[in-house]
Amino acid sequence: MMIERTLIFMIFLVGFWAIIANKHIIKKIFGLNIINAAVVLLFILEGSRIGTQAPLLDMQVTNIVDPIPQALMLTAIVISVCVSALALALSVRLFKATGSFDIDVIQERLSHEQ
Amino acid sequence: MNLILLVLILALSIFVIASKDLLHSVIALSGISMLSALLFVLLKAPDVAITEAAVGAGISTVIFVWAIRHTRRREKEES
Amino acid sequence: MKKSNLFSSCKVLVTFFLIAFTLAPILLSSHPWPNEGRDYLFENASNETGASNSVSAIYLGYRAMDTLGETLVLLVSITGTMTILVGLVKKEKSDSPNTFLLTRDKRKSNQLRTHLLEVVSGKLGPIVLLFGFYVMLYGHISPGGGFQGGVILASGIVFLALGNQSEKETKLNNPIVLARIEGFSFLALILASTSGMLMGKGFFGNPLSHISANFIILLNIIIGLKVGTSIASMCIAMMGRSHDD
Repeated sequence: MMIERTLIFMIFLVGFWAIIANKHIIKKIFGLNIINAAVVLLFILEGSRIGTQAPLLDMQVTNIVDPIPQALMLTAIVISVCVSALALALSVRLFKATGSFDIDVIQERLSHEQ
Repeated sequence: MNLILLVLILALSIFVIASKDLLHSVIALSGISMLSALLFVLLKAPDVAITEAAVGAGISTVIFVWAIRHTRRREKEES
Repeated sequence: MKKSNLFSSCKVLVTFFLIAFTLAPILLSSHPWPNEGRDYLFENASNETGASNSVSAIYLGYRAMDTLGETLVLLVSITGTMTILVGLVKKEKSDSPNTFLLTRDKRKSNQLRTHLLEVVSGKLGPIVLLFGFYVMLYGHISPGGGFQGGVILASGIVFLALGNQSEKETKLNNPIVLARIEGFSFLALILASTSGMLMGKGFFGNPLSHISANFIILLNIIIGLKVGTSIASMCIAMMGRSHDD
């Protein structure tokens, strides 16, 4: 359990590294998606530590996993695709305006325009 | 089994960040989603697995490929 | 220039390690996972909401207000994306915005859509739509529900749009029709959520007297249509734009 959480933590840090250290906007959006995947993985993994069966309440099941993290993460996945779509539309708009994806170049060109 | 899938996801995420070609990054990102869906099935979360597979392999890839086609595929500027 | 570059990379490294050290105790703690909520849901979820899939019982029964807020966030972000897309189309040229509806020999862009892709995705589209409706309608007893079925519906609509070989715009490829379905389903969601209040059962209460899964099936259908049409209309509006560079 310790090793799995460490691996998820490393996935989170890879996404975080992409967000803060990369100059490329699309790479930053990739980092957002990776962070989202890491958080979803962490919740589902922690929720499955109790129980051994899927949370479908039939007559046979006796020991289900925790369904609360699954219900939370279900909405988080759908929200993440909307967030990345909005961010991509904004970055394509920036590319059409300035012709670059690098944030330093974008800032320079926008300040020259004013 | 969980550990193997997690190591694969970690390797794919490092590849997403390190790759110079953005289209390769998009395909690796959808690979992360498919591996996560497999892991969710193993962790007894079928609802999340269905959503992750449909979103990560279908919708998200369409959106990213749209953005890359309309701009520039390589990371560095050629000019 | 070199010095400022070094300075900024130092800042990035310091931030990175600070975040890592801050988050490490949270992620690496050995606190046991509580099982009171699991036990309560195992005992009561099927009797109180009528759905034997307890994930559906949570997000449509106990925490239905979260679902309403989530669809609101979806609506706002799709609206923002479509607004930016309309601005992009107006900025370029707007004479032939729907190049992906032309037949293959007249099409200047989208040349990678070969005949094979069109035939396969066009034949696969109705099957994916049928599977989406199955997942949406059986969400109360099997894995599935509104969100899952809606996302699969959106993939089916994208498949049908890719496999459209005629020049005419079908109803499912038209973003205006999809946006109307989305608006009506959001109105239906609000009406369904307030119908419990009129009957004296509270917000998102089941307006019928006896406990059954009918209300959850109704909410699944509404949310599935809402999520599916909104994401599909966004994808179609993105794919249908002309691009000349």
